[in-house]
Amino acid sequence: MNKIGQKKVVIWVLISIIVIYSIGQLFPLIWLVDFSFCTSNDLFGSFILKLPSPPQFINYVDAWTIGKYPKFLLNSVLINTLTVSVTVFLSIIMGYAFTRMEWKLRNTCFTIVLLGMMIPIHATLLPNFLLFGKLKLLDTLPGILIPYIAFSMPLGIFIMAAFLRTIPKALEESAIIDGCGIFRLIFQIITPLTKPAIVTVSVMTFINSWNEFIMALTYLNTDKFKTIPFSIMSFMGLYGGNYAAQFAIMTLAALPSLLVYALLNEQITKGVTVGGIKG
Amino acid sequence: MAKVLSNKLAISLLVVPGMLLFLFAVFVPIVMSCFYALTDFQGIGNLHFIGLENFKQILTNDTTFYRSLLNALLLALAFIFLQHPLSLTFAIILDKLSGKFEKIFRVIIFIPCVISVMVNAKMWVNIFDSQFGLLNKVLDLLGLGVLKTDWLGNPHTALPSILFVNCWMGFGWAVMIYYAGVKGISEEMYEAAKIDGASAFKLYTKILIPLLKPVISMAATLAVINALKTMEVPFLMTNGGPGDYTQFIANYLYTKAFSDSQYGYGNAVSVIFVAVCLLGTLISNKITNSGNYE
Repeated sequence: MNKIGQKKVVIWVLISIIVIYSIGQLFPLIWLVDFSFCTSNDLFGSFILKLPSPPQFINYVDAWTIGKYPKFLLNSVLINTLTVSVTVFLSIIMGYAFTRMEWKLRNTCFTIVLLGMMIPIHATLLPNFLLFGKLKLLDTLPGILIPYIAFSMPLGIFIMAAFLRTIPKALEESAIIDGCGIFRLIFQIITPLTKPAIVTVSVMTFINSWNEFIMALTYLNTDKFKTIPFSIMSFMGLYGGNYAAQFAIMTLAALPSLLVYALLNEQITKGVTVGGIKG
Repeated sequence: MAKVLSNKLAISLLVVPGMLLFLFAVFVPIVMSCFYALTDFQGIGNLHFIGLENFKQILTNDTTFYRSLLNALLLALAFIFLQHPLSLTFAIILDKLSGKFEKIFRVIIFIPCVISVMVNAKMWVNIFDSQFGLLNKVLDLLGLGVLKTDWLGNPHTALPSILFVNCWMGFGWAVMIYYAGVKGISEEMYEAAKIDGASAFKLYTKILIPLLKPVISMAATLAVINALKTMEVPFLMTNGGPGDYTQFIANYLYTKAFSDSQYGYGNAVSVIFVAVCLLGTLISNKITNSGNYE
């Protein structure tokens, strides 16, 4: 066999390995979507996949209306928009103070915040449940935003600080000589430069908080502010035996983040590889 | 210059609100946990100080606690010896493909990671189901019907199933970390090795892997931390059952406090949990960094 032929074989072997692997990653999801269009009885048949005949759109109608999907979606959008924007804002101002400004407790504070990356969320669940209860924060918007932001901050500040260190100081020096104040300096001169880091922080915060559910389960006890994962939980309670409809609500719950991923996959891949340290 | 950047008022305005928020939601609860760990509080009613009784009970007389630790250890081993070697291999293959295929597969591999753990976990519960689950149907199709079982209900298969789902969900993250590492190695390195007559196998084992050592050690540390922190998958799939075969520490402390009303005891588990996580991070950092040259 000549050299070029050999190379081709190697490439095809590699491609087939990765195809098998990708099927392993995707097939469960394809199965889920497929049977979400079938009846529950179809699920008990011996087929692995089945062409739905006719497609049971009623499953999706049930999931949308009885599962109160739009309400949970709106809550998720609201909570995530606020979490991401506050986290980005705090990452910029605190990242700046930690890397560029001179003060006594700087290193101590920075270390404390970074230590937060190692503290598991789960260890704060029990005491925070009591604390928030006493402060009447349970089942309120601040009651869910505060822990979400607090646990997104360390990674956000870490990424932002690392990025700020790469920006040359000359720009700030000349701005200060021209009489620019600290807040104008941060928001008008530095912030536009940190755009790549802002994207990374937003992406990481979004992925983590969009999919979060154990804090929401603990701190929210009514549906008022509950997020998308809970559409599945509450629907399963109501539609215990109707598996196909449950598959429909699971598909719907997965859809928004898949759409965001389809639109922003370039930025997400970049964000993940830069901020690869998952909280 | 110095004046603007060391203005105390400005620094306080920038740092204090965020620090307060962080201390309130992350550090205050840890301190509270240490306090409640010393009591027999049940969630309501009076509490009594019982000293280190809870800790004594956990460390000397709590088999579930030790099983949780063991399970976390097994998960860490599964991450390090199954998930990571595979991920590294796929990262290398991805890098080799280049062009259209590289992009398509990179996108596909990460899909499970953007989907909520709730969807993933509940989907796998259905796949493992004994009556209509996908897994049993596939086994039937392959003529392996004898292997059919109630995967999450059978004490022998429940833990491996949970470990598998954790690995499956984390694949995308692991591949991406290694992929970034592989991408960071310059093309010239390969060229130089090829000119020196290195075979493809040697190229990867003798050159690429040593170059990736910092990435591998970071990923291994993360794997240990993630294994210790595991809660969502067992919570949603088995809640520790059958018995306590699939119990993990975070899920155990949650169950103790909220289902068994042993709030003080749960907090004591929680305090040990934080200590174990910090210790685990330190140790795995030490081990993986010991052979590093920076």
